Amino acid sequence: MFRAALRSLLQHKLRLSLTLLAVVVGVAFVAGTYIFTDSLKRSFDALFDAPQPDVLVTVDTGFGNAGGGGGGGAAGDQAATLPGSLVAKVGGVDGVAAAYGIVATDGALVIGKDGKVVGQDGPPARATTWIPDDTIRSVSLASGAAPVGPGQVALLEATATAAGVGIGDTVRLDTPGGRVDPQVVGIVTRGISGSDGSTLVVFDLPTAQRLMLGKGNTGVTAISVKADPGVSQDALAASITTALPKDAKVETGSQRKADIADRLSTAFQFVNVFLLTFAFIALFVAIFLIFNTFSMLVAQRTRELALLRAVGASRGQVRRSVLVEAAVLGLLAAVLGVIGGIAVSQGLRLLLKAFGADLPSGPLVIEPRTITVSLVVGLLVTLVSAYVPARRAGIVPPVAAMRDEINLPPRSLLIRTVIGAVLLALAVVSAQLGLASTEDATRASQLVGLSALCALIAVISLAPMVGRGVLLVMGAPFSGSAIGRLARENGRRNPRRTAATASALAIGLALMTAIGVIAASTKASVAAVIDTTIGADYVVFGAKFQPFSPDVLAAVTDTPGTSTVTFVRQVPIKVQGDQSLLTGVEPEAFPSVVDLTMQLGSISSLGLGDTIVDDKTAAALGLKLGATVPATFVNGKSTLVLRGIYTAAGPYTGWITGIPTLMSIGARELDSAVYVKVAEGADPAAVRASLDQELARFPSVTVQDQASLKDQINGQFDRVFGFIYALLALAVIVAFIGIVNTLALSVHERRREVGLLRAVGTSRPQIRRMVVLEAVMISVFGAALGVTLGLVYGALLQKVLEPQGITRLAVPTGQIGWFLALSVVGGMLAALWPAFTASRLDVLRAIASE
Amino acid sequence: MTVAARATSLSKIYGSGDTRVTALDSVDVEIETGRFTAIMGPSGSGKSTLMHCLAGLDSISGGQVWIGDVELSGLSDKNLTRLRRDAVGFVFQAFNLVPTLSALENITLPLDIAGRKPDQEWLDTVIDTVGLRDRLRHRPSELSGGQQQRVACARALASRPTIVFADEPTGNLDSRSGAEVLGFLRRSVDEFGQTIVMVTHDPGAAGYADRVLFLADGHIVDEMHQPTAARVLERMTAFEAGRS
Repeated sequence: MFRAALRSLLQHKLRLSLTLLAVVVGVAFVAGTYIFTDSLKRSFDALFDAPQPDVLVTVDTGFGNAGGGGGGGAAGDQAATLPGSLVAKVGGVDGVAAAYGIVATDGALVIGKDGKVVGQDGPPARATTWIPDDTIRSVSLASGAAPVGPGQVALLEATATAAGVGIGDTVRLDTPGGRVDPQVVGIVTRGISGSDGSTLVVFDLPTAQRLMLGKGNTGVTAISVKADPGVSQDALAASITTALPKDAKVETGSQRKADIADRLSTAFQFVNVFLLTFAFIALFVAIFLIFNTFSMLVAQRTRELALLRAVGASRGQVRRSVLVEAAVLGLLAAVLGVIGGIAVSQGLRLLLKAFGADLPSGPLVIEPRTITVSLVVGLLVTLVSAYVPARRAGIVPPVAAMRDEINLPPRSLLIRTVIGAVLLALAVVSAQLGLASTEDATRASQLVGLSALCALIAVISLAPMVGRGVLLVMGAPFSGSAIGRLARENGRRNPRRTAATASALAIGLALMTAIGVIAASTKASVAAVIDTTIGADYVVFGAKFQPFSPDVLAAVTDTPGTSTVTFVRQVPIKVQGDQSLLTGVEPEAFPSVVDLTMQLGSISSLGLGDTIVDDKTAAALGLKLGATVPATFVNGKSTLVLRGIYTAAGPYTGWITGIPTLMSIGARELDSAVYVKVAEGADPAAVRASLDQELARFPSVTVQDQASLKDQINGQFDRVFGFIYALLALAVIVAFIGIVNTLALSVHERRREVGLLRAVGTSRPQIRRMVVLEAVMISVFGAALGVTLGLVYGALLQKVLEPQGITRLAVPTGQIGWFLALSVVGGMLAALWPAFTASRLDVLRAIASE
Repeated sequence: MTVAARATSLSKIYGSGDTRVTALDSVDVEIETGRFTAIMGPSGSGKSTLMHCLAGLDSISGGQVWIGDVELSGLSDKNLTRLRRDAVGFVFQAFNLVPTLSALENITLPLDIAGRKPDQEWLDTVIDTVGLRDRLRHRPSELSGGQQQRVACARALASRPTIVFADEPTGNLDSRSGAEVLGFLRRSVDEFGQTIVMVTHDPGAAGYADRVLFLADGHIVDEMHQPTAARVLERMTAFEAGRS
């Protein structure tokens, strides 16, 4: 008897430990997210300690991040400049101790020792100017000397390491001004470790002007000002402003710091909310598990609770005793969760690194807020989930203590069915409303989101009803054997429990499937655009989206076997406040390499000052054929005449004009892309080989064919979606813990039945098979629910996103097949321990009446 | 006379040291084929333990047990399970039926587990004998206690086992239902030649048997042939008096 009691206690502990684990995982995710973002924030603090100019003068172009600080990095981005003469003028203003002209832009590609461009494709390749005064210079010299003259450069430490060069080596740089091979004389640091994949090179001013700005441009992108002692930044900014032309933007150092802090905090906020979303999904899943556990514990202890009632405990007391248990569990889980959060924060860092973001490392920051939130979340989640079971415990009649077999009357599923039906109707209605308003993307996505939420709750409510039928069908192939029938009926006997367990899995898989559908649709849409629009056999692009020298065009044209070779150039353009790109093309050749559908007008008739635009932009701005379009550029304003409207196709949107028009507004002589067609009769493989050979001396460009373009774009999407999958995996893991938990509790609850089966001759392997089959049915049921929901909402989202260019609906059948296969395997794994326990049950103990 | 099951110097000891309890002390017993044997004794006499050991449900501490020609102590769990499935039928006091299966499915459960087709003629005979033909589709929760025990009896007989063990089969039943179940067990011995061993503490139940074994403190202390309820009660009362 003592041994039995001990065993029961141990089992109780084991059962609760799974529930505990689920809450710990959820809370750890929450705590880890906070620890991660707080630590990241702290590691960026070094940025604010770096010296800043007292006042910085830039050009106010209205184009995002032009000038000295940020750096847009968009294709064809062009730095706005101030006349170089302004530096002296600012230097002459009262209160200015010194003024230095700076050229800080994107586009200085560092070519590593391996002959490849250093850094990833997305982040910018920055160049900046050395300022002699280290009290206002944000980079500091770690070793070596400052760069002087055209033959010298300083590199950011991470850049030098990645390029495999050190002080004294020469390094190859591909700049807008051409290729140079300066000597590395200095290594600089930014006071912040880690790498976002961007690179930085530092020149002296004349070198920077020559290499980074247009030919003969002696301008500067910013003027860095040091104040006289005793002169306040604000006062100095005010006096500089009066001395300068209107388009000059004057900022104090503290304004800039506040600005940076603001931008960072927005970014951190975004990261935080993004990660917390997944944490709360995992917690939401955990709620099902906790609910199931407490329901089963209450059911198993009915007699004990009834005895309490019989000896005079009130309903409230019984209810509270269950809630206290839940609270203790929740608190314990929260404490463990905070500790686990430290591991999760490191895991998130590693995960991000695996997906290409090497973040600066810093101290581990655990704010009191993190602990408070974790405790509250852990406690709240457990109490909320245990509330209904606790209430049910309260209404156990005292007489139940005297009964031998306790069967709480089966509660009707009517209310659930009604709620489910109403929510399902709501889901359908809001989905229809959403689909009807796709022109308003925000409204449409809100409505579809609302619909998804309703549908999810509807599915959860209806799952017990549906489950009985679904399991009947799913069990049909196994119903030939007694074991199969038993497994099926075990799954069906407690529809709520089965449904709650399956729903937990459904949530994670619904999200994964919906994302899978969007991912596949996005890829299919991009592929469709490439297939239908790009007529070129090969396209040459610059690394990091940087425009490249016309030498590349010449090299391609010289390659034997090419016929049409044409180039495009791009500059930022702003029309009626709407920023996009103006692409300059060769009107005769362009249509043969990029097949745009003209709705009105034609490309080939584009004269000087003429433009065409995509249908969506034209509609949004209310522009008609022949309209005069006033446009703002980085270095001035101009007027274009609308001569045609084409159908937007993937990346081919925005304004298009002839090359002469583009050059007339001051574009640099740099190409964004070169399109190539193979001559008739030439062997494409041979042409490709000669192209690669010809372009080998231009490491900053790559040759893409249609297949590799698709691969490249797919690879980028895969990275983003892979990261989201990895975060959702946690919710799925919690769901599988839930299956283990439900089965373990069910086996415990049915131990007499298992004993009976063993007594009448069921073998251990048969018992194990029975439990495993039940687990697989539950998990496949959950997966099927999730996948169905995910497919429906993936398809709806695609419809909503159609105006954003996701024009094709693609269903990732292979992936969904994997999900289902994994749910089978997961169900089997989840059943391992409960099945083993069941098969090892002592026959006699199991059938002995208590 | 043939023997369906027997035990020689069968011992069963629980625990060790101070908590050591000898439930069965070198018991020798033979169960004759085609007869209805009752095992009686007061609580703690070891009668259930004896049945569990004879049926291969519990391990033994010493001695030997045979069912038919098979000696149990050398059998692996797998073979023991197979033996229970094919050669032994069980009727327990309570919780005899799998709640998710219908009455018919419960009756054929051991056969289904074995993957064997039931002998339809025999099955019909059994079902008609227990009088459950109109209840076959019902779940156990839709049957009365007596009906449930009759289903259990039918299950025990369905596979034509060498021996049927019944552990207090009427313990949870009212007297009328109990009489029905006992009547059925009696008939299965008389009409089908089934061997039955029944553990009971109810003299009335023991009165249905051909032979009664009296157990006390782990020993077989007496045996009675062609018992009646009155004689059994008398003997039991004498034991109780002797013990106290």
